[in-house]
Amino acid sequence: MPHLDAAYNLARWLTRDVHDAEDVVQDACVRALRYLASLQGSDARAWLLTIVRNAFYDWLARNRPAEVVQVGDDAMEAIVDVAAVDPQQAALRSAETRALADAVAELPLQFREVLVLREIEGLSYKEIAQVAGIPMGTVMSRLARARALLQRSPMLRAIGGGGGVATRSVR
Amino acid sequence: MNCRHAALLVAAAVDGELRPLQALSLRRHVARCPACAQQQASLRALRERVQAEVPRHTAPPEFRARLAATLDAAAADAPRRPRPAEGRWRWLLGGALAGCAATVTAWFVATAVIDGRAGENLAVEAVNVHVRATLGSQLIQVASSDQHTVKPWLSARLDYSPPVRDYAADGFELVGGRIDYLDRHPVATLVYRYRLHNIDVFVRPQTAHGGAAPLRSLRGFNLVRGDAADMEWIAVSDVAPDVLATLVERIVKDAAGP
Repeated sequence: MPHLDAAYNLARWLTRDVHDAEDVVQDACVRALRYLASLQGSDARAWLLTIVRNAFYDWLARNRPAEVVQVGDDAMEAIVDVAAVDPQQAALRSAETRALADAVAELPLQFREVLVLREIEGLSYKEIAQVAGIPMGTVMSRLARARALLQRSPMLRAIGGGGGVATRSVR
Repeated sequence: MNCRHAALLVAAAVDGELRPLQALSLRRHVARCPACAQQQASLRALRERVQAEVPRHTAPPEFRARLAATLDAAAADAPRRPRPAEGRWRWLLGGALAGCAATVTAWFVATAVIDGRAGENLAVEAVNVHVRATLGSQLIQVASSDQHTVKPWLSARLDYSPPVRDYAADGFELVGGRIDYLDRHPVATLVYRYRLHNIDVFVRPQTAHGGAAPLRSLRGFNLVRGDAADMEWIAVSDVAPDVLATLVERIVKDAAGP
């Protein structure tokens, strides 16, 4: 089946869970069933990803209306707006070593989805606009915000600070 | 080119989304501007790390097998009525041009279906969200009657900044806010209390297809919609429609400016 990995990868980053990702992909594939045979090429990938994204939001509304919130409350605080974060908690967080992948997983949903589509799935701005149902300008601003959040995350502070990354990764 | 303009282009350059001419003028600017050069280097570095360290998940073989079985079963279940259509389908796909046309058609059909359904279901969805929030414990995520607390909390979690005002003087007391999902996008929800009733007001940037019915009621709940200054408000509650309309009018009037 074409583009199954792309579908699975997106679902996995959106749900952040193996089993939930499988449910979402399965739902999406059943919805797409009638067209699956003609799915070839990159347009088809964007189209399938659109269905996966829709299936995910429907799943979210059905299964985890409350959990959406916990994401917001506890995980996001670590990266979101520095001004809004309790300084003591921020200090605690930065002491932890946090993998970059974790930082991506903790991005607020709307920033995570554009970042994953761009950096991991390699979609163009235009394709992301199609998949997420938003204008190109919004794609760019969300992407910029996602990156700014990553740069500000404790683990990557060196990047924002002064281009220390090159030395960092060499070391 | 100034730095504000360059900042927009830097990200697009890193993403390979610049036209050659834009790329050229950006290169000229970056050569002279250390701050923009640094931002570009920093974005490149971030991108390299993301691509090196953030995994692309692939579907596990067991899942693939299970999915294939499910889809086969679903295909077998589906009525086999459209036999002749299938023949035509295959014939269509025969030509390369027709193949493209089929993909494009599928796109349009899918998008139209998605759009149509979204518009139709918006009211139902808004009521569902309201009911779920009222029944559950998640009515309020940020509890505050202070608009200066609620607004930054919402803005930090969205890519727009919803106007937030308290109308306690008119009987609508702002009690907090939360993030919901409406129409498959995150949306800011302001929670007001009017006497003993909860009122949810969803605030979002106006959508292209917008233009939902201005006033209606559904399963005993009333919905009032308003828009101004590129934003859209959808108020849901069990209070009387005219009371709800008063609140929305106040909000819209304030947003539209003096």
